Amino acid sequence: MRDRLFLTAMLGPSLALLLLFYGYPILDNLRISFTDLSLLGLKRGGSWVGLDNYRELFQSGDFGDVLFNTVVWLTATSVAIRVLLGLAIAVLLNSSALKRLRLATISRFALLIPWATPPIVAVIIWRWLLDPHGDVNATLMRFGLVDQPIAFFADMRTVWPAVVTVMVWNTVPLIALSLLSSMQTVPEELYEAAELDGATRWQQFRHITLPFLMPNLLVLGLMSVFWSFNNFVYVWLATGAGPGTFTNVLATEVYLEAFVNFRVGYSSAIGLVMALVMGVFGIIYLRLVAQRQLEDTL
Amino acid sequence: MIRHIGAAVLALTLGISNIVAAEPVTITFRFNDTEAEVRGAIDEFQRQNPDIKIDLQRIGWRDAQNQFLREAATGGGPDVIHSAQVWVKEMGQAGAARVLDDFIKADPPPNGFDDFLSQDLARGPGEKIYGLPWTTDTWALVFRTDLLKEAGIDKPPVTWEELRKASADVFKKTGKAGFGFPAGSSASGAIWFLANFYWWSHGKALIIQKEDGSYGIGLTPPDVAEAMRYYKSYLDGGDNPKANLAASDAHDPSIVRALASGNQAMGAMPPNTYQQVLQAYAEANHDKPAPFFSAPFPHANDTKSSMIGGRMLVVNANTKHPKEAWRFVKFMASQQVFASYYRTQFPAQRSLLKNVDFGAPMKGFAEQFEYARTWGPYASGPIPIGAMWNATGRAFGAALSGQRSADDAAKDLIQEIGKLMASKR
Repeated sequence: MRDRLFLTAMLGPSLALLLLFYGYPILDNLRISFTDLSLLGLKRGGSWVGLDNYRELFQSGDFGDVLFNTVVWLTATSVAIRVLLGLAIAVLLNSSALKRLRLATISRFALLIPWATPPIVAVIIWRWLLDPHGDVNATLMRFGLVDQPIAFFADMRTVWPAVVTVMVWNTVPLIALSLLSSMQTVPEELYEAAELDGATRWQQFRHITLPFLMPNLLVLGLMSVFWSFNNFVYVWLATGAGPGTFTNVLATEVYLEAFVNFRVGYSSAIGLVMALVMGVFGIIYLRLVAQRQLEDTL
Repeated sequence: MIRHIGAAVLALTLGISNIVAAEPVTITFRFNDTEAEVRGAIDEFQRQNPDIKIDLQRIGWRDAQNQFLREAATGGGPDVIHSAQVWVKEMGQAGAARVLDDFIKADPPPNGFDDFLSQDLARGPGEKIYGLPWTTDTWALVFRTDLLKEAGIDKPPVTWEELRKASADVFKKTGKAGFGFPAGSSASGAIWFLANFYWWSHGKALIIQKEDGSYGIGLTPPDVAEAMRYYKSYLDGGDNPKANLAASDAHDPSIVRALASGNQAMGAMPPNTYQQVLQAYAEANHDKPAPFFSAPFPHANDTKSSMIGGRMLVVNANTKHPKEAWRFVKFMASQQVFASYYRTQFPAQRSLLKNVDFGAPMKGFAEQFEYARTWGPYASGPIPIGAMWNATGRAFGAALSGQRSADDAAKDLIQEIGKLMASKR
């Protein structure tokens, strides 16, 4: 009983803070999502509309397209590329060849540059690079790979790959450096023993390195999914959700509804649906994937 | 002893209160263009009013309105706000803008409020005045004379068909872009203006006010699709580079640069963007006369083809210093400011506007004023202009990029505007 009281007393302040900083805004957002609150009526408040906002959202013809863009392009594609590329870079940075050439330290510093670049700057740099008069088009033309410059951020065939490129460039260093730090905790003796047993490089990676990386990979994967799904800044700055509505995602839809169409209530409903989707994903991920993997590994 | 301490406390208190009294009142002014445009005027105001200090804040046009509405709703925000003319009614509705009628009555501008253009847009709930019209402008077409000459064009186009042909001829004969307009679909994209100019010049409008005072949609899907197809033909023909699908503003660097460097023959823009083009040309070609002229958009004798737009100054309903804020607003709209400092915009007062020397390159803008209209029912109607602007930009973006056919995108737009109108009723 005394232990329980002690635990409650110790955890109480943290729980209260969590409730204050997370619980209250969520509940207030939920309340607003059941109203027709307008940006022009913030002082007056909105009127109760029940489930109308949710009904409208799910019946909206655009919702499927926006959800597809968010799940497939913004999240699945960018996270998959980011994790695979991050893993490849970490392996390269950890390789003995790079150390022998005395390039390991400088490579790690170089990797920090994209990560330290603010997203707004990253988008501007890439908009210049991918401009029809930019260096990428100039190079493609010089090697005869294209006849006409490509408007990467305006052409429907290239706009999503261009946005994903900017996201990956700006964020892959975090994944690579995190995985690199995990790789450096693998005892050298394990590789030596494996080598004596005749294991190939691939077998060493598959059966020694990867299990050590797994806990970190799972957490990075989960964080990347949350971060990408809710991301607003890259799409908004690079394309403004265009051309047309071609790159509109849930986060830009929230902004457009709240601050362009002034529909704060409806926008809150979209925000809550986003939170719900990520909540369900997080639970499934932790229960079905992460828990099993971590049990196997540990 | 006690008497001495009392005297000391009193002296200290008086001293502090004197210091406090000497402190100037700080008025925060949030301006949405470059600081250089108004810095001189602000410094002059502070010289003339040593009891008022102006704290200049800057924000981009894109976020200016919603940022202020959010701040005002919680009792904050700057004292004076630079606003698009079409936002003022909405700011009044939101309770964010202070009513100015009492100030205008007690301490009116030199030629009274009737001297100002766009008075209809300054009024909000209860027909009260919520903003002082500050500047006015219109959009016009601008041309490079050298590229037109090279393409064999000796006079500016006066119909939409002639404009289309001139643009195609420039591209065909010089390899340079013809009419390079920003075709992007952002929530505040320039295609909104171009679409409306096309409709207005054909005697139609997206929002109309009926005889009984109610509002309606003045376009059919075929009207919208026709405008979409017209502008899309420039992109399909290659005379407006496809890269301009990613440009949403008239002042997009790629457009300003292309005009200034001679890679584009024609553009559509407000006067301050045109001045940027002229300045960029002058910087790159020191002694050469600028090969540019401006001309009105195509129009019929009885139709308009551009808007009388501009900005207003709004006093925050939460300001603690309304009198000082009004003194600043009145000064900024004075002849002295437009004559000596704020030279990138035209004044919104008829008495000052008639004295403006537009000069040869700006002649087209002066002519365009004759064929320009206010947003009228768009602003006084039930739908926030920003929502229509966004819906129009998205629909045009979808059609121009090929995401949707012009017919489908046009139907979507009319349906969306209808939905917005029904929900606001």
